[in-house]
Amino acid sequence: MDELLQILKGVELFRDLSEDQLDQISKISKKEAYSKGDIICKQGDPGDAMYVISSGQVEINVSDNKGNAYSALYLGAGQLVGEMALVDEGTRSASVIGVEDETVVYNIPNNKFTALCVADTAIGYIMMRNIAQDLSFKLRHRDYDPTDT
Amino acid sequence: MIYKVSYVVQSGEYPGSIKNEDEEPKVGARVMIGPIECEILEVHQIMPPRGDFTFLHVTVVPVERLTTEED
Repeated sequence: MDELLQILKGVELFRDLSEDQLDQISKISKKEAYSKGDIICKQGDPGDAMYVISSGQVEINVSDNKGNAYSALYLGAGQLVGEMALVDEGTRSASVIGVEDETVVYNIPNNKFTALCVADTAIGYIMMRNIAQDLSFKLRHRDYDPTDT
Repeated sequence: MIYKVSYVVQSGEYPGSIKNEDEEPKVGARVMIGPIECEILEVHQIMPPRGDFTFLHVTVVPVERLTTEED
């Protein structure tokens, strides 16, 4: 459990949570390991969990209406994936695929996470703020044009 | 300090990446963006640091492109 607490402290999503609050998050998190090419979640599926990437990289792969698939983004250690479904309760907007062998993620089920936020609103406030800031960072990443600098 | 880095590939022909780094990215260093090895061209701070986190934009170029241009 100590290993997971150390990992959670290095993830911006959990910034400003106390050790006790991090411990509560760790208790609802499940470690999962994937290899290169493994599908962690699939576009269009129900979004029942979000994932924190502990090590390795994942590919965010999007299929358009014509069935053409393309890589939209790579996410590495310390990043959050699958949080959109938590916010809007929609289906997966993209597939998430392991890029490297020994890609390790922590699965946080949405129902357990929501229940935790309701039971401890201090956790709920901090986590929802951090999720909003993470989404903001991703928007800045997407909109950044290196030719403007 | 933890560096949360938005990596953008200069040409736009490859997707970028977001990941945490333990050490500050430096111009000239190499980094893996997905399966592609890239070299760092520019580093900019996006927003003020919060807690232990610093937020950076990093522009990179695929190493294969550098090699082609040298030829």
